[in-house]
Amino acid sequence: MLAYLIRRVLWMIPMLIGISLISFFIMHLAPGDITSSEAAFDPKSSEESRQKLRELYHLDKPIIVQYGLWLERMVHLDFGHSFASHQKPVFWAETDKEGNTTPGMIQEALPITLLMNITGLMLTLILAVPLGVVAAKKYGRWPDRSITLFNFIGFSIPGFWLSLLLMYWLGVIHPWFPISGLHSLNYAQLDFWQKCQDLLMHLFLPVVIPAITGLAGVTMFIKNGMLDVLSQDYVTTARAKGLSDRTVTYRHALRNALLPLITLIGLSLPGLIGGSVIAETIFAIPGMGKLFYEAVMMRDFPVVMGILTIGSALTLAGNLLADLAYAWADPRLRKGVIPQR
Amino acid sequence: MAYLLCAGLVACSTDTPDHSAKVFDQSYPAQPGGTLISAMPSDPSSMIGMVAGESASLAIGSYLFNSLLKYDQNLDLAGELAESWQVADDKKTITFKLKPGLQWADGKPLTSADILFTWQLITDENTHSPYASDYQLVTKAEAPDAHTFIVHYSQPFAPALESWASLQVLPKHKLAGQDIRTTSFAQKPLGSNYYQLKEWRHGEYIKLEKNPKSVLGSANIDHLIERIIPDTAAQFLELMADNIDSMSMDPITYARIIPSRPALQARLNQFKELGNSYTYLGFNLKRKPFDDVRVRKAINYAIDKQEIIDGVYLGLGITIASPYKPGTRWSNPDLIPYTFDPAKAKQLLAEAGFEDTNGDGVVDRDGKKLSFEILTNLGNKQREKTAVIIQRRLKEVGIETHIRTLEWASLLTNFIKPGDFDAVVMGWGLGLDPDQYNIWHSSQQKPGQFNFIGYNNPAVDKLLEQGRLEFDPEKRMQIYHEFAEVLYEDSPLVYLSAGYGLTAIHKRVQGIMNPVPPAGVSYDSQKWYIPQPLRRTQIQAE
Repeated sequence: MLAYLIRRVLWMIPMLIGISLISFFIMHLAPGDITSSEAAFDPKSSEESRQKLRELYHLDKPIIVQYGLWLERMVHLDFGHSFASHQKPVFWAETDKEGNTTPGMIQEALPITLLMNITGLMLTLILAVPLGVVAAKKYGRWPDRSITLFNFIGFSIPGFWLSLLLMYWLGVIHPWFPISGLHSLNYAQLDFWQKCQDLLMHLFLPVVIPAITGLAGVTMFIKNGMLDVLSQDYVTTARAKGLSDRTVTYRHALRNALLPLITLIGLSLPGLIGGSVIAETIFAIPGMGKLFYEAVMMRDFPVVMGILTIGSALTLAGNLLADLAYAWADPRLRKGVIPQR
Repeated sequence: MAYLLCAGLVACSTDTPDHSAKVFDQSYPAQPGGTLISAMPSDPSSMIGMVAGESASLAIGSYLFNSLLKYDQNLDLAGELAESWQVADDKKTITFKLKPGLQWADGKPLTSADILFTWQLITDENTHSPYASDYQLVTKAEAPDAHTFIVHYSQPFAPALESWASLQVLPKHKLAGQDIRTTSFAQKPLGSNYYQLKEWRHGEYIKLEKNPKSVLGSANIDHLIERIIPDTAAQFLELMADNIDSMSMDPITYARIIPSRPALQARLNQFKELGNSYTYLGFNLKRKPFDDVRVRKAINYAIDKQEIIDGVYLGLGITIASPYKPGTRWSNPDLIPYTFDPAKAKQLLAEAGFEDTNGDGVVDRDGKKLSFEILTNLGNKQREKTAVIIQRRLKEVGIETHIRTLEWASLLTNFIKPGDFDAVVMGWGLGLDPDQYNIWHSSQQKPGQFNFIGYNNPAVDKLLEQGRLEFDPEKRMQIYHEFAEVLYEDSPLVYLSAGYGLTAIHKRVQGIMNPVPPAGVSYDSQKWYIPQPLRRTQIQAE
């Protein structure tokens, strides 16, 4: 198991280099650079100064040289500075000679996105597992039909539409929740518990809405998994042994039905890290999705590469965790299959 | 799409009359205090606008920093930090005398050394300011004493005065010896204007508080908060929920949604002001048949500009005949916008040798159809719709067009810069100085420069050169009126419209100039006030 783990971790290095190389080249295939952003199309700015800016950022050099320079910095875990946001550090905070600290862009955005998306995923799972189990157990009867109908609605509602609808009803008509943003304007004056409450209130709509729209898929996934498992011989055997329906459903069937869910969660990891551009834009939340989108539109290459690199590293780590969780959940994998991979 | 949905939601809802509305219609005497909350679509990248080069930074910077000169409400130059300024007889030297007793928010004196330092900073190679070029024309700048700042030019340069109204003066004692591109000053600035930065939560909001040492006196409103809300539908919901006091609007909100909602109308004042920008259909003059003035004029006559203003901007715009804001001294009042006259268009096309010889509905010359591509940038719905209306009208006079929308950077890099286009629907936002050398002078056609349509007219070149040498506003006006006339006759582009800037401001904010002066709704915003009974209780607690 340990050897497997070490091998998997070592494999991540060439994988990361490969991903970064492809990302770097694809990113530079898009026309334009930081000097062709909208603000630069100002008759008061001159082409000479834009050219000098290109030289400063090495954008005048061949792509392979630029990649080499980037990789050289990355070896020292230096993610560089943003072109567009006044040279803010891409990844981690920096302190200057006077002791002033400038926070890193990813450092600021990542916790927000993780908090939002992990809470959303938890909420989805908490709701989806019982719904999926009920739908499978009552297959073809009214609980299953209502859940299926709910799923259809969930599948077909566009997230942004539901967002605006709920923002209007729960923010304007009945002002129970904040409409946008992450903190109240008087956040700094609040005590610890008030701060927590403030954050939760602000996160309610941006977390619940993607959870509702994502619920449909996961519920169907669990329902189908349960239906599969419930028709297996070992479930029939368990029932024949006289075990209670509850024990059969939750201890024997559900545990096996949940196995593929680990893969599903593993696959959703990049989304958790990358964030959602639409939700973050509508709710004015300064998370990774918005940061990435803006960086791409501004051709802010260090930020784009920083997010892609950290995103890939976390995704690879997440996949590894998912595999380990799978092995933990399924003793067959732990005992036999893994060492042969 | 999101916006339409929001509009739909608002239209469907039942509208309960707001009983507090009566309170907002009362007028109160000016009093200090209160908090004004606005929304802006993106976070500024820095508080040093001249280095950042984007509008959000310059806008926030204008609350914090001062310039030597400013524009008064009628867009004439007035002193800000400067008490007076004098242009030497040879027009190559400008001497500014500073007001007495100027100081920074930390109490340190603001002197001509700060202005000299700011000039040095902007023109320094390592600063990489996109706006350095005007300041690089200064051959020598000096600060002989604390109240005097003198600049020398190798030849007269009339737009110089405008440039000194744009330069936000930075404190030498905070920035000397620092790397301007990485300094933490960009996040924690120190200024001299009405406000100073209190808190900046990146991507969320910027809080400004009154600067008690402001060099221009005291502002009425204690706190200004700019919330960063990228989505206009979300901004509008926040405005409806009374969480923000002002936002910029699009024509649909201004002309349709707010007027249909009594409760909103009772709480909001709406302002419209003619912006300093215009939309145009520009031709690639280096390509056939756009090198033929008759074809350009025919296209100009074939397009119904009022139809575009009514259809796309819901009537919130006006037609123009020169590249200047109508009503200002630089706009030539004798020029009347090209009328919509398809018959004349057809006649001009015929004169240019274009006829529909094969009966396919498209005119042709030497066996070649008059067909071209109109490019515009993706994401600007108003320009996309404009292009569609143009396409329909041109088809009626036998011109075939294809519309192509492209992402901004791609449009600039692949098409505008190499000059690989037939026609474009784009816009120019203009400074307040009439000089348009960079856009129209024949020397400005290299890739990346702004005369990308390839306009080349020696008469215009001469006028633009003259305009740069002339400081007398009356004489300058004559020059630019003549310049606009030549352009009008040449029709190198079709002026489509100048749109209105539309703003909604909560009625709790009083003291706003109405009607809006030429300098815009936010002119003299330090005189705005929020009377005690109309303030928000939540913010008041601060």
